[in-house]
Amino acid sequence: MIGKSVIRKEAWEKVAGRAKYTHDDVEGGMLHAKLVTSPYAHAHICEIHTEKAGSVPGVRAIVTGEGLPLTGEDLRDRPPIAFDKVRYHGEVVAVVVADTLVQAEKAANLIHVAYEPLPAVGSPREALQEGAPLIHENLANYQKGKYSYPEPGTNIAHRTKIRKGNMEKGWAESDVIVEASFSFSPSDHAAMETRCATAEIRQDGTIVITASSQAPFMIKRLIGEYFGEDVGKVIVHTPLVGGAYGGKAPVQLELLAYLASKAVGGRKVSVWNTREQDMITSPVHIGMEATVKIGCTADGYIKAAEILFLFDGGAYSDKAIDVTRAAAVDCTGPYHIENVWCDSLCVYTNHPYASPFRSFGHCEQAFAIERTIDLLAEKLNIDKLELRMKNAIRPGHTTPTQVVLNRSNVGNLPACIARLRELIQWDEWQRIEINSRTVRAKGVSCGWKTSTIDTDASSGAILTFNPDGSVNLISGVVEIGTGTKTVLAQILSEKLKMDIDDIHVKMDIDTQTTPEHWKTVSSRGTFMAGRAVLSAADDAICQLKAIAACVLRASAEDLEVGYGKVLLRDDPSIYVPIKDIVYGYKYPNGNAIGGQLIGRGHYVLRHLTPLDKETGAGKPGPEWTMCAHAVEIEFDKRDYTYQIIKAVSVKVLNRKAALGQVMGAMSMGLSFASRETFFFDRYERILNAQLRTYRPIRFGEHPEYMVEFIETPQIDAPYGARGIGEHGLIGMPAALANALSVAAEVPLNELPLFPELIWRTKKGKQHGSI
Amino acid sequence: MVPFDFTYHRPSSIEEAVRLFERLHKQGKTPLYYGGGTEIITLSRLNLTFADAVIDIKHIPECGVLRIEQNELTLGAALSLTSIEKANPFPLLTKAASEVADRTARNQITLGGNVCGQIFYRETVLPLLLADCHVVIAGKEGLKQRSIHEVFQQRMRLEHGEFLVQVKIDLSYVSLPHAHTKRRKQGKIGYPLVTVAAIKKDERLRVAFSGVCPFPFRSKAVEEQLNARHLPIETRISRALQYLPKPILNDTEGSVEYRLFVLMNALSDILIALEEG
Repeated sequence: MIGKSVIRKEAWEKVAGRAKYTHDDVEGGMLHAKLVTSPYAHAHICEIHTEKAGSVPGVRAIVTGEGLPLTGEDLRDRPPIAFDKVRYHGEVVAVVVADTLVQAEKAANLIHVAYEPLPAVGSPREALQEGAPLIHENLANYQKGKYSYPEPGTNIAHRTKIRKGNMEKGWAESDVIVEASFSFSPSDHAAMETRCATAEIRQDGTIVITASSQAPFMIKRLIGEYFGEDVGKVIVHTPLVGGAYGGKAPVQLELLAYLASKAVGGRKVSVWNTREQDMITSPVHIGMEATVKIGCTADGYIKAAEILFLFDGGAYSDKAIDVTRAAAVDCTGPYHIENVWCDSLCVYTNHPYASPFRSFGHCEQAFAIERTIDLLAEKLNIDKLELRMKNAIRPGHTTPTQVVLNRSNVGNLPACIARLRELIQWDEWQRIEINSRTVRAKGVSCGWKTSTIDTDASSGAILTFNPDGSVNLISGVVEIGTGTKTVLAQILSEKLKMDIDDIHVKMDIDTQTTPEHWKTVSSRGTFMAGRAVLSAADDAICQLKAIAACVLRASAEDLEVGYGKVLLRDDPSIYVPIKDIVYGYKYPNGNAIGGQLIGRGHYVLRHLTPLDKETGAGKPGPEWTMCAHAVEIEFDKRDYTYQIIKAVSVKVLNRKAALGQVMGAMSMGLSFASRETFFFDRYERILNAQLRTYRPIRFGEHPEYMVEFIETPQIDAPYGARGIGEHGLIGMPAALANALSVAAEVPLNELPLFPELIWRTKKGKQHGSI
Repeated sequence: MVPFDFTYHRPSSIEEAVRLFERLHKQGKTPLYYGGGTEIITLSRLNLTFADAVIDIKHIPECGVLRIEQNELTLGAALSLTSIEKANPFPLLTKAASEVADRTARNQITLGGNVCGQIFYRETVLPLLLADCHVVIAGKEGLKQRSIHEVFQQRMRLEHGEFLVQVKIDLSYVSLPHAHTKRRKQGKIGYPLVTVAAIKKDERLRVAFSGVCPFPFRSKAVEEQLNARHLPIETRISRALQYLPKPILNDTEGSVEYRLFVLMNALSDILIALEEG
């Protein structure tokens, strides 16, 4: 069962178009909300006139920001509805609730807000300049988490410091040093389903929320914390989610739905993003500026790295603090470097606020690191894969946060590199001129990632049985399109030696009845929920054996569970069918023993610690998965245009599902690297918040994808499976940039890699924002 | 969603459509003729277009014509771009149409809608300008036929209440040597950075542009420079660029300088293809 490709449990519903998502749940009497958003990136709100809007028939309430508590996961800096000032283009300033969406929209158009524009901050470097406008004057007074370090009087929401080894020594041992700067603007996740939520407050005070979310259990906790509600009275439902990519990890519209419902006496209210609002009002893919300096010996051993990541956290810190911390944790890329200095800053700007994006800070930092590694190889005149091989981090080495690696907690990077070398025929050619205009070139990159999640993050699973002996599997993992729930069914099928069709998976989450899974993020579903399922299966097996021992008059130690039976290990002809004991066993005379059988299990990550404030030392995650990538491109030297010919990346339970995950991630990485960005005008307003003008890769624009898996089992993972949902993406932007830099013979250190950027760089002109 | 209420009207004749427009206008409404409606959906969401009555011209027989008769090709304004592509009566128009938006959108977008639309690329007008086609326009006074050059200056100059019924193309243009190139910011779908269409008639090139300026155009002066065949191609192109109408677009699709760079190469390819061809 493990390693087989099985059809996803939710596949039939999806291909028949019958799968139900949050916004499909239309209920009679449900009210609709429309968000009024700011046309300015930074402005004082002088007045909000709601009279005209209020008189539109059907309007039930208009909610504004006054008197609301501040929110934010690591630092409470964000009013759920802007109050006093707006800090980004698209920020919510009012919520109109009406009987129909049409009425709500009409009324929203009639709300007049008087603004007084303020100078806007357009990039992290600009935000850090002396005299830059302060985006949060009250930074010193915000309530914050124990491990968030805002710097009041500046635009710095958080700084993660990594201090490992001795930099002086590192530079002294270095014969060659390279330094380069990198940048890209915020962009979108472009999930097919836009973000949406409904909320209802029942007469007894129970708050029922349905949300398209990766974090239903977090919604429950946060509504409790922010608004002083009893957490046990908050119930969150999450049906299937139509793509998330990190954009549905933050809690935003759920708060608005709750506030809107509260304003109309608890009636059910739906809040739903239009595509345009989803792009800019809800959290975006983070932007970054970075400077990387690496020193190395003449024979190619890296001795020192000084890294500055300036992340564009946007107007509010929320999840961005975590993202910038994750980037710092793995700041060196998958290389063994003894002396490391890294500052990773979450900087406020007047851009939409940032959220995680598939790979959680890693494709971003890998772009800077892997470009620098290429520059270093060029300067040293060493083969680019050879340099990576020489410095590949291995068991026995320490990570930037000083975790000692072993055979289980780190993937085999040298094996990845060696396989990549063969797959892309690296030794045959790396750059060839096809004719006077056309060049083919290959670019490579490596990546690694651990999951920087809360040290006490846990996952639970429950198994119940049906009268025919089949099992119901209940886990808190949200089905966001990754097929994780099917993988969990495969794990259970293997463990119980049971047909996969006899395992029924509960797709929807209901926080009142579903055991908690911390958040469906960070490629942790298979690992943590898988362990919880195994633990629940062990519990069920133990119970099955106990009752079968009575029935069969045998010792539980001599029994085995499988094939729908509990049987005697040394004589399988003696058994009792599972279906006869899962609701207790009834003797022929009518006496019964046992009762309904419920398996339960949980898993919590072991030995994780927070990072030291001054040095970053700590164990941020359980394991590091490695990846190596290559991109082959064909470049037109005259037009500066290019085609991506081939993209190559490097085990897993459901093989086809894993392939699909990796290819999907590769495609996302290439799309981000080659074309996805927001364009801002000089007032930091977004110019392309529609899919007409923000254009991700389309079907038909894909290169050939090659994916291979090298199995280095993680010993403590379910059947050795490692997380891979994100790793296909990590090195893609860097590999593309490396290939194009080789082809165009000019360093390309910005994203996205539009032909115009290559043209401009080649011309030696500064690439200004348009 | 469309943020305003509108009434929907589906006339079955030209006269009925014109009368409807008149009547709705007199009632104080802002009526709008439409074919595919993609632009109404896209722009109304942004409050960039408004109509409280829409008149669907797809059910008027004359608007759905695709006919070749007496050396003339007639194309109804309500033909979808994909139906034109499929029938392929005018290969250059097929090329221009096939590069607009994406397949799903082109099933909706009509020839008339693309030519008369608010979004200024209007790329299917380029072949029409090159073929000196005639347009049939319906209005209060009935039908009139005009040269496209009289009616299309940067955009269709239709009188209030008029709408485009058909396009008529002299068949001799349909088989002329031609070239079409669309260059985008990136990828295979999206608005043009530069679109250039050209045909060769009587040994002279005719060239039309979209994406260069905030309107499509054909320029006698530009064509004159490009046809100065005694000069090298580079010289002709750089001279032609001086005659481009203003302003040159400078937007998120690309800067002025980069557009001109792309345009030079596009022109060079077209000149070489048609002069050697």
